[in-house]
Amino acid sequence: MFPIRRRNFILGSSAFLVLGTCGKALAQTATAMTPHEKELYEAAKKEGGELTWYTAQSDDITAQALGRSFEALYPGLKVNVLRTTAQVAYQRVTQEIKASAIQCDILSTTDIGHAVALKANGALEKYVPDNSSKVLDVYKNYDPDGYYFVTSAGMIGIGYNTSKVKEADAPKNWTDLLDPKWNNNIALGHPGFSGYVGTWALTLRNQYGWDFFEKLAKNNPRVGRSINDTVTMLNAGESAIAGSGPVGTLLESVQKGNPLAMIYPTDGTVLIIAPSGIMKGCKHPNAARLFMEFLMSEGASKIWVDHFNETIRPEVSAPQGAKSAKDVKIIRPTVEQITKGIPEVIKQWRETFGV
Amino acid sequence: MTDNSLDLRAVQFSGLAARIRRLDASILLWLALIAVLAFLILNPVLRLIVSSLQETDTGRFTLANYRTAYGSIRHLQSLLNSLELGVGVALLATCFAVPIAWAISRTDMPGKAFVRLMVFAAFVTPPYLGAIGWILLAGPNSGWLNKVWMALTGAGHGVFNIYSMTGLILVIAVTSFPYTFVFTSSALDLVSSEMEDAANILGARTLRTTLRITLPLVTPAIIGGIIISFLEAIALFGAPALIALPARFNVVSTQLWQFFEYPVRVEEAAAYSMPLLAITVLMFWLQRQILGRRGYTSVTGKGGERRMIALGPWRWVMLGYALLVCALSVFLPMLVLLQAAFAKAWGRGFSLDNLTLHNFYYLLFEQTQAKQTILNTFVYSAVTAFAAISLSLAIAYVVSRKLVPWSNVLAFLCVAPFVVPGIVLAIGFYAAYAPPPLALYGTATILILGFTTRFLPIAYTSSAAGLRSINPEMEEAVRILGGSRLLAIRKVLVPLLKKSLAGAWILVFIPATRELSSAIFLVGPNTRVISVMLFDLSEEGNFEVLSALGVILLVVTVAIAAIGSRMIGRDFMLRRNS
Repeated sequence: MFPIRRRNFILGSSAFLVLGTCGKALAQTATAMTPHEKELYEAAKKEGGELTWYTAQSDDITAQALGRSFEALYPGLKVNVLRTTAQVAYQRVTQEIKASAIQCDILSTTDIGHAVALKANGALEKYVPDNSSKVLDVYKNYDPDGYYFVTSAGMIGIGYNTSKVKEADAPKNWTDLLDPKWNNNIALGHPGFSGYVGTWALTLRNQYGWDFFEKLAKNNPRVGRSINDTVTMLNAGESAIAGSGPVGTLLESVQKGNPLAMIYPTDGTVLIIAPSGIMKGCKHPNAARLFMEFLMSEGASKIWVDHFNETIRPEVSAPQGAKSAKDVKIIRPTVEQITKGIPEVIKQWRETFGV
Repeated sequence: MTDNSLDLRAVQFSGLAARIRRLDASILLWLALIAVLAFLILNPVLRLIVSSLQETDTGRFTLANYRTAYGSIRHLQSLLNSLELGVGVALLATCFAVPIAWAISRTDMPGKAFVRLMVFAAFVTPPYLGAIGWILLAGPNSGWLNKVWMALTGAGHGVFNIYSMTGLILVIAVTSFPYTFVFTSSALDLVSSEMEDAANILGARTLRTTLRITLPLVTPAIIGGIIISFLEAIALFGAPALIALPARFNVVSTQLWQFFEYPVRVEEAAAYSMPLLAITVLMFWLQRQILGRRGYTSVTGKGGERRMIALGPWRWVMLGYALLVCALSVFLPMLVLLQAAFAKAWGRGFSLDNLTLHNFYYLLFEQTQAKQTILNTFVYSAVTAFAAISLSLAIAYVVSRKLVPWSNVLAFLCVAPFVVPGIVLAIGFYAAYAPPPLALYGTATILILGFTTRFLPIAYTSSAAGLRSINPEMEEAVRILGGSRLLAIRKVLVPLLKKSLAGAWILVFIPATRELSSAIFLVGPNTRVISVMLFDLSEEGNFEVLSALGVILLVVTVAIAAIGSRMIGRDFMLRRNS
């Protein structure tokens, strides 16, 4: 009785979604629930049918698409999606821990140092998703103890507005950003907010020393907060170059018809590995576990790819017209470097850029 | 002859009874009010002050927090920046507000109703929304004004740069001048023409009369407006985060935010916010010194006649000035915000194929939190307004009629939250009430309590101003004729104050709908309000969706305020003789 009704509901709701603007949920309804997922699903419905997800791993649009897709897969469960920058999400979570009133069920950050610190403080709940063994090898086993898992990955290159900059003139590598011709025309995010920008700044510090940023500051870049803000600035024509250009958000914007292009710097594109973990003492542990399974599922990777981010599953291929991490030269820091280095980078950034 | 002891006993008895009765009533009242204020204000603020002198882990006494907080040039620079910002905003807002208030209240300037409506529109516009409008208008390369300039002159660069201190001052002044306007215009509405007539008869011309008679009479209101816009400017968080950050300077509020980044350093933040407290105390002390012994009560039970000054051709000049201010604060930002709200990509400009409703569709159907967030905002704001008005009216009455000793302490406590920047207040609240035993984190209660505290000064200022304008003679008349104080309150005070209380409700409700600085630390995932959602969205610079949400906020706020003022038969901006 019940499964048939549920399937009808899923079909109906996905048909509705297709008729509406987004058809992304459709593909997933085909995959059947495993017994483990079914068990979690039933338990999740009993504990209130809700889930609160703090995420910094994408822009709001992608995050909402993931949430809606989960809801379509598991009718009766509702996901509260709170998209902020990584440092803001972390700040809220630490506030909740301090007040011993955990509101967040799953934290998806872009600063892997957060996961390390939370685990060290005993703030994460151990859970090894079934799907964690099915992701690409490069994303496996970041925490062998099973407290957090990589649930998405993205790259940072250099973006530019094609109506303002000719392809031949565009920067080819990171040090080209120091050319005085880009004075007043570079948009950056802020490592004090964005985990992506923090890791990016750390990677370039490893590569060229902090001196690179001292010189970059002379070009008077426009400093926003989220890394995605740089894409907005390009679209608006406020800046010509996105010095920290998020590949996913930028290519999605290109698809919408904006005059932008992406450069994968010859000295290396920065790869970000972004983990998620379940908060210890959270109100909806079963929904959280189910959501962890979902984040590492083929269906979730399809949505990520639809929004021009990396896939973490081997079954899903890279988005059309986008390069995948395995096609370009990748640079990235180690987890230890991130944990120790991002707080340093934030401090240096404030000294150099004044904010 | 009366028995001595009996007499003594009777005297003792009646004296004692009277004293007990009076003491009881007034002391109980005092204790009750103090208890509420202690909960709302003293405890959170004292906790901050104490923690500014404590070591983080051990709680031992230390001055290290002050050394760290002030031991950096950047931190000191932020303090100076905030002072510059506050003074700039206060002056600019006064220049905007006072002439318009005067023109509307005392002259025959045309288009008054319209200008008044626009001032109201400026008042409902949250500063961060105004800031977004101005970013779209005066972004150095992409702003509309700069694009127009470049198209007209063929210049390669724009002339306006919103990402600057001047830009920030402008943005905050255009959204905070309505405070000064409301104060000044409601005071001007109470000044009868008799004194101006006297000056005219003695040969003074209009300008001289205005500058020497009319405006001096409303000095308390103007100074009140200056103080409020100064304090508002230095305590704001949203607009500086949007503008100062890209302009690469910090103000106190954005600097404070950094203390709350991981690792949270509440103690340093507390130390760093002390100068703001000191400044406020100083300002209110100054206000007392300036206004101190002079009498400004010009309203009595008798109604004075009020006639409009005929300005002749100058009335068009005044209208032009008023429209200029309206353009800066409402027309221009609203135009670009509306364009963005209905645009696929705002940078593509005003064209039909750029029109879409998708931003609204996204908010209401795809972004599932938006609906709950919108509802939260208005419920919390309405409850806050009721709570703040009830409390402040009780206190204002006790203070103005000096019912209890030390009543000035109550008054001071009521206005104290204004100086505590919203962020700091929220942290105090958070530290005091988020953890057990009260465990209010993530609840609506903590937000409403926080908002009530934050807007108590506005509620108190308007209640007290209302009371001050009512000469106690009228209540005294009731009491002399044998009526009780309660009767006097019921039959004289409340009817006289009904309209100004309703006005005060709107004055609290509106800023509560747009409050960001204290909300940002007190919201949980299920108690989000629009301002916080706007702030989160603004990180990505998603201006189209942001503008759509802003438009929803404005439309609903205006509708509620309109219904409210329709119900009380009074227009938005607290006009008295409508």
